[in-house]
Amino acid sequence: MTAILPLLFLFAAISGTAVVLVRDPARQVFAIAVNGLVLAILFDALQAPDVALSELAVGTAAVPLLFLVALMAVKTQPPEEDS
Amino acid sequence: MSVLPYAVAAWLFGIGLYGIATSRNFIHLVGCLGVCQSATYVLLLGLGYRWGSIAPIFYDHPPGTPAVDPVMQALVLTDIVVGATLTALLLVLTIQAYKRGGSLDPEKLRPMRAVGQSGRDRGSNRVGDGERKAS
Amino acid sequence: MSPNARIVLLALAGLVLLPGAAAVIAGLPAFGSTIAQYGERINAVAPEARHVANMVSAINFDLRGLDTLGEEFMLLAAITGTVVLLRGRRGEGNTERAMRRPGRAVIPRSEAVVLACRIAGPLTALFGLYVVLHATVTPGGGFQGGVILASGTLLIYLGEGYAGWRDAIRSHWLDALEGGGALLFALCGLAPMLTGAAFMQNILPLGTFRDLFSGGLMLVENLGVALAVTGGFTQLFLEFMEETREAREPEEPGEESA
Repeated sequence: MTAILPLLFLFAAISGTAVVLVRDPARQVFAIAVNGLVLAILFDALQAPDVALSELAVGTAAVPLLFLVALMAVKTQPPEEDS
Repeated sequence: MSVLPYAVAAWLFGIGLYGIATSRNFIHLVGCLGVCQSATYVLLLGLGYRWGSIAPIFYDHPPGTPAVDPVMQALVLTDIVVGATLTALLLVLTIQAYKRGGSLDPEKLRPMRAVGQSGRDRGSNRVGDGERKAS
Repeated sequence: MSPNARIVLLALAGLVLLPGAAAVIAGLPAFGSTIAQYGERINAVAPEARHVANMVSAINFDLRGLDTLGEEFMLLAAITGTVVLLRGRRGEGNTERAMRRPGRAVIPRSEAVVLACRIAGPLTALFGLYVVLHATVTPGGGFQGGVILASGTLLIYLGEGYAGWRDAIRSHWLDALEGGGALLFALCGLAPMLTGAAFMQNILPLGTFRDLFSGGLMLVENLGVALAVTGGFTQLFLEFMEETREAREPEEPGEESA
């Protein structure tokens, strides 16, 4: 058990770094979802099941979905002003 | 090990700031802001943890069993949900900036003008919207 | 500002902040050694005082209920801002019916997907309800359960198509859910004052420890949060989805558009 927590902290750092370094927003969405999943597992290991449940629902489902739809909205609609 | 969680929190915040400063795409920038936000979660939950303690839920264990700090968890719990709605608000601002400025690049962002002045009013609700945005 | 100047500025800020961060980290208690006194006291006192098993819910809905009221209205404000920004451009009149996505073929869903969604949808809703209702007993509560319920409605979109989703979910109901939930929470704070008690004082019977009906007023507050979060998040999904479509007079009302 004592070895799992440091590993999970390191995974959280790595996945957070990946979110920043993946510059293409379409790929970044997946990095965000993975980051949310890693954080949820970390929070559960830190004896915070309430927070883990919240992070799981928000971080791996709701937020990536909002990012995807925002990307789609940007891609499908041309800008109003063509100056 | 004793400082690893705090170091991870500092690292996440720092890398998030780096991402925000160097981002060339607003949607990517909002994602980087989420990384900064997660740094606070890691810090708070790291502060509230104690080895050998149970989760602060006294269903299977009788009250009085050593448990981790519930205050930090309550703080983080509400922030995750409210933070998601703020992410949505930022994404909407991004979409609006794209529609009005034509680019997602922060470097190319220009000051906003009222739509009515530049004679590009195409439909009544957009004029109203433009006036509201400009004010 | 040019990108290079920005990075230089960030590096300078990092140079200033790094020693400060190092000093703070060195000053913090070693990880896992101790927890704050406040949390320790709550763990010791709250199970007997409030008859609830989940300390996190006890803090959110009772001991620090005022903070949660603030969070609740932050949620309301953020969602209102999002909806105003999106709807303001489209116009308020188009909120009732599904808008169309021109120039994309409607791909019929395979029966396996439809069946899976019809099975998983109610199960997800049931799980969300379970999480909401057991706020004071097991991990869960209005915040988490609300997000699960809202995400569950997306299974309708996946299984029945966009028009089916919009038929099942009415935008005005979501407004009412969201605002009503926040109102319910605020009333939970004000109602005890009518009886002469303090703001948000727990005046309802506390119930039995480890029972579903424990915690008194917390259950009502939890319900208010669940309604607001469910309505708010579903509204967010709906308005975001609508943003990818174009307002156009539908040739055939009720035509499936995916």
